[in-house]
Amino acid sequence: MVYLILKRLLQSFFVMLAVAFLAFSLFRFVGDPVSQMTGVETSVEDRERLRDELGLNDPFIFQFARFTGDLVQGDFGFSYRTREPVGEMIAKRLPATLELGTFALVISLVVGIPAGIYTALRPRGFVSQSILLVTLVGVSIPTFVIGIILIFLFGVQLAWLPTFGRNGTVDLGGWSTSFLTLDGWRSLILPAMTLGVYQLTLTMRLVRAQMMEVLRSDYIRFATARGVPYRQLYFKHALANTMVPVITIIGLQFGGVVAFSIVTESVFQWPGMGLLFLESIRFVDIPVMGVYLVVIAFFFVIVNLVVDMLYVAIDPRLRVKEAA
Amino acid sequence: MKIRTNLRLSVATTLLLIASQTASAESFRWASNTDPQTMDPHAVNSAPVLSFLNNVYEGLVRRGRDMSIEGSLAESWEPLEGENGWRFNLRRGVTFHDGSAFDAADVKFSYERASSEAADVRSWFAPVAEFRVVDDFTVEFVTTAPNPLFPDSIANFMILDSDWAEANDAALPARDAENHATRNTNGTGPFMVSDRDPGVSTTLTPYDGWWDTVEHNVTEATFTPIGNASTGLAALLSGEIDFIQPIPLQDVGQVEGRDGFQVLEGLETRVIMFGFGHEHDSLLFSSDVDGANPFTDPRVRLAVAHAIDVDTIDRVVMRGKIEPVNQLVPEGISGYSEANAGRPEYNPDRARELLTEAGYPNGFSFGLKCTNDRYINDESLCRAAAGMLAAVGLNAELTTMPVRNYWEQLRADDFDMYLLGWSPGTFDAEHPIRFLLHSQDDEKKLGSWNFGNYSNARVDELLPAIQQEIDPAARQALIDEVVEITQRDVAYVPMYTQPLIWASKDNVDLTQRADNFFLLRWVTVN
Amino acid sequence: MFARIWHSDAFWMFRRSPAAIVAALCAALILCGAIFAPWIAQSNPYDLSSFSLMDGFLPPAWEDGGSSRFWLGTDDQGRDMISSILYGARLSMLIGIVAMIIATVLGVGLGLAAGYYGGRFDAIVMRIADVQLALPAILTALLIDGIARGVLPSSMLENLRVVVLTIAIALSLWVNFARTARASVFVEKNKEYVQAAMIMGQRPFRVMMWHILPNIMGPLLVIMTVDLASAILLEATLSFLGIGLPADSPSLGTLIRIGMGFLLSGEWWILWVPTLFLVILVVSINILGDFLRDAFNPRLH
Repeated sequence: MVYLILKRLLQSFFVMLAVAFLAFSLFRFVGDPVSQMTGVETSVEDRERLRDELGLNDPFIFQFARFTGDLVQGDFGFSYRTREPVGEMIAKRLPATLELGTFALVISLVVGIPAGIYTALRPRGFVSQSILLVTLVGVSIPTFVIGIILIFLFGVQLAWLPTFGRNGTVDLGGWSTSFLTLDGWRSLILPAMTLGVYQLTLTMRLVRAQMMEVLRSDYIRFATARGVPYRQLYFKHALANTMVPVITIIGLQFGGVVAFSIVTESVFQWPGMGLLFLESIRFVDIPVMGVYLVVIAFFFVIVNLVVDMLYVAIDPRLRVKEAA
Repeated sequence: MKIRTNLRLSVATTLLLIASQTASAESFRWASNTDPQTMDPHAVNSAPVLSFLNNVYEGLVRRGRDMSIEGSLAESWEPLEGENGWRFNLRRGVTFHDGSAFDAADVKFSYERASSEAADVRSWFAPVAEFRVVDDFTVEFVTTAPNPLFPDSIANFMILDSDWAEANDAALPARDAENHATRNTNGTGPFMVSDRDPGVSTTLTPYDGWWDTVEHNVTEATFTPIGNASTGLAALLSGEIDFIQPIPLQDVGQVEGRDGFQVLEGLETRVIMFGFGHEHDSLLFSSDVDGANPFTDPRVRLAVAHAIDVDTIDRVVMRGKIEPVNQLVPEGISGYSEANAGRPEYNPDRARELLTEAGYPNGFSFGLKCTNDRYINDESLCRAAAGMLAAVGLNAELTTMPVRNYWEQLRADDFDMYLLGWSPGTFDAEHPIRFLLHSQDDEKKLGSWNFGNYSNARVDELLPAIQQEIDPAARQALIDEVVEITQRDVAYVPMYTQPLIWASKDNVDLTQRADNFFLLRWVTVN
Repeated sequence: MFARIWHSDAFWMFRRSPAAIVAALCAALILCGAIFAPWIAQSNPYDLSSFSLMDGFLPPAWEDGGSSRFWLGTDDQGRDMISSILYGARLSMLIGIVAMIIATVLGVGLGLAAGYYGGRFDAIVMRIADVQLALPAILTALLIDGIARGVLPSSMLENLRVVVLTIAIALSLWVNFARTARASVFVEKNKEYVQAAMIMGQRPFRVMMWHILPNIMGPLLVIMTVDLASAILLEATLSFLGIGLPADSPSLGTLIRIGMGFLLSGEWWILWVPTLFLVILVVSINILGDFLRDAFNPRLH
């Protein structure tokens, strides 16, 4: 097991290097940072000098080596746009994204798994059909449209919830959290709902599909025939067997949550990493984009590692194989 | 002699409104689409930064509600005798936010800082040959040539405290890593930055020791950047912010239709125009013309001007909010050429005739580049213009892109025809001549935004003459000549000035200045 | 032939499912509309001379000021909404279907092989998948777009934007397939029938195609449907963020993006007509997907 983890960690390092490389190679296509950093009246000569100072005239591979070299030493560089240290910028935005993503994921699981089980057990019921239809429509509207609709409904028309931003945060030793104040929760609800809708539908449909599959399998039929009580049957045997793919999906969903949080954060002006990233694309802030991608990659690597570990834990057959 | 530029901009509108119910809020919250990226007044020459910092820092001169130049940290100024340049008599008794006194040493320090290689605003001081401190409250700028507009050109040159900057290692604007001045301020202006979270929010509080008469009643002001236009509007309508600049054109009706809100409309001085690849030997994006560039023929360029129906663009794309223009600056800007106020009328038949004369009776296809996030409804404008051009046989292959890719492509000459908006930074007609009409000349730093390299020897000759001419009538004659030449050549096809549209709660009085700067010192919350 | 289809189990189930019938009708109508757009649309949104700015902002025919020429109104450029939507659906479905097929083939192929062979091959594929997952779709789109921009001259790039976007969407979707396929192979591989087939010396390709693949069709079909819908939505999202298609190639996503500007302006149809259309399309696909999954599941029969 330790060997396995070490092996995966080593592989993970190469994954991150690859992401950094890919990320870095795309930057020069995003746009020209110098045009975005200077004013209209700045002379060509001054622009060229700035380009030189930033090392943008160096060969690509030099730039990449410098970037990764600094990164490995823990030097995340400085933003082209605000000149702030990038590490600090990301660290400040990280809690906002993680809390939003976690809460959205929790919504999607807390609602999605029971709804999936229910619709699998009563596939022809009116309630099931209604749930399916509502979630189908929900998942068919682009996230940004949902966000704007929620803002106008709950923010403007009903004036129940704030329309933008992240209010009422409490600073816990460098980690600003929304979870401790009413204002914090109020700001969190709309973006988390927006972000959670898609994940919720996905979770529900997957749990439902998997559950129905399992319910039709022979061993459940035998168990039914043997007179195992329904409750035990559904929630112990059937559910346990739907969990493997569900765990995969949760792992995958975290990716989805982060990807879609870019859109949600932009609609709600949520000061997370996604918003920072979109802004840095707009201003061609290469150091910020680079570090963001590496941080996200690190995140994924960890989540995937945990998912794979869970596989082994859940399915004993895999454990035997890995040990061999 | 004291020269004061007379800007008859009828567009700066002040809206005064009847006080509404409660006077609860002197705490003022506002939003815009871009965060000022730094609090350093010399680091970046961009409108969001300069507009914001005008609340915190002050220059020797400043612009009033109608854009006219008035004294700020300088009480008066006059041309030097016997040499080229200007003397500024500084205001006494001014203190910085930290309480230290303002004097000539701060001006000298700020001049050196702002004209250093690390500063993005150094182009303002290109004409300066020497800076002299005469005494504690008198400074002199010696210029290389007569420069009647110099005081106007430094309205955004802001003064910071020399001791504070040096004590905090911020003697130069941050080039790589941030320094103290990137997030902290110490100016003489009416507001102090009390809290700053870049990209999220910035809070300002009034400075009690400000030298000028206080007109505002704001006790605290919080700025939030909101990038998404719909979100920003929602924030205003839900009452979470008091003011937003700008709002989309099409949402004006929505805001006006609601009780408790108002829309402030004016015209920006930015002229929207099409430019051409004057220098290219052949079209880059044509499917039917090879080895020739029809746009080198002024008749073809004139045909473009005749083919575009600005009135229809106004009515449909711009909702009746634009003002057609005939030259690169709008009426009201100093140096505007009254003598050349006519513009080519919409006349597709004439356009076809011109194309036939030029040898393209069936038109031709070419590439048109446009931004899609820079000017108001720029993408719709270009689609509309492409449709109008198609009607006379000019088939535009339209490419739209975000501005972050745009300048790079224009600098690389990757266009046949392109969209450009230009706002005269000095509010004088000389500005676009210097940047857009003079031939590209890297050495003299001229024509740096003349992407298509329109070149006319006479225009190049006239520019320095205009810059140095002190007599207003003679100067105007020179400008008139430039405008006449460039209109005849159809160097660009200027179309219109775009509107400024701000929205606020109706209990807020504020001033909309034509340069799109928003100043808290003119805000009253009723 | 017809009789065979008519009497098949799947069709029997289809006839008994009103939701599936309605969804199939909707999807078929939209598909036909998309395919035959050039012949049935009254104007061509790609052809600048076929519409006029003068007709801009006309509301649907039943509203005040509406024109019977434009039954669902016109957009800011004076383009007929119905024509724009037909052409938009054409582009969106093309992008969605092609992206989904690429993602399925790539993902299932790699996933099956990774699960079957295991070891180093598995590790490499899964680490590539990790890299892919670590780059959200938006970034993949930017990357592909960037590479294309670097490699191709800009005049060609404009014509290839659809291809670039399709590949970007496909690349951001294949991992779902790969991971699901791989996870299922892990489970199926140890089952007796697969072991038996392997012992009998069947070629790996055959084992995967004939024994493993049919057993994972259920989850794959779910993902395929969800992903076809995702692909169409992803295109809309990328266009919303300004890294999708330009405004002169109106996919449904571009139409919605343009419409977002008119959300509050009173010209509701510019946003809601294409949005409603997109929702109907995606919901139909999803309902059909659900139905197909049930229909092709042998255990249900």
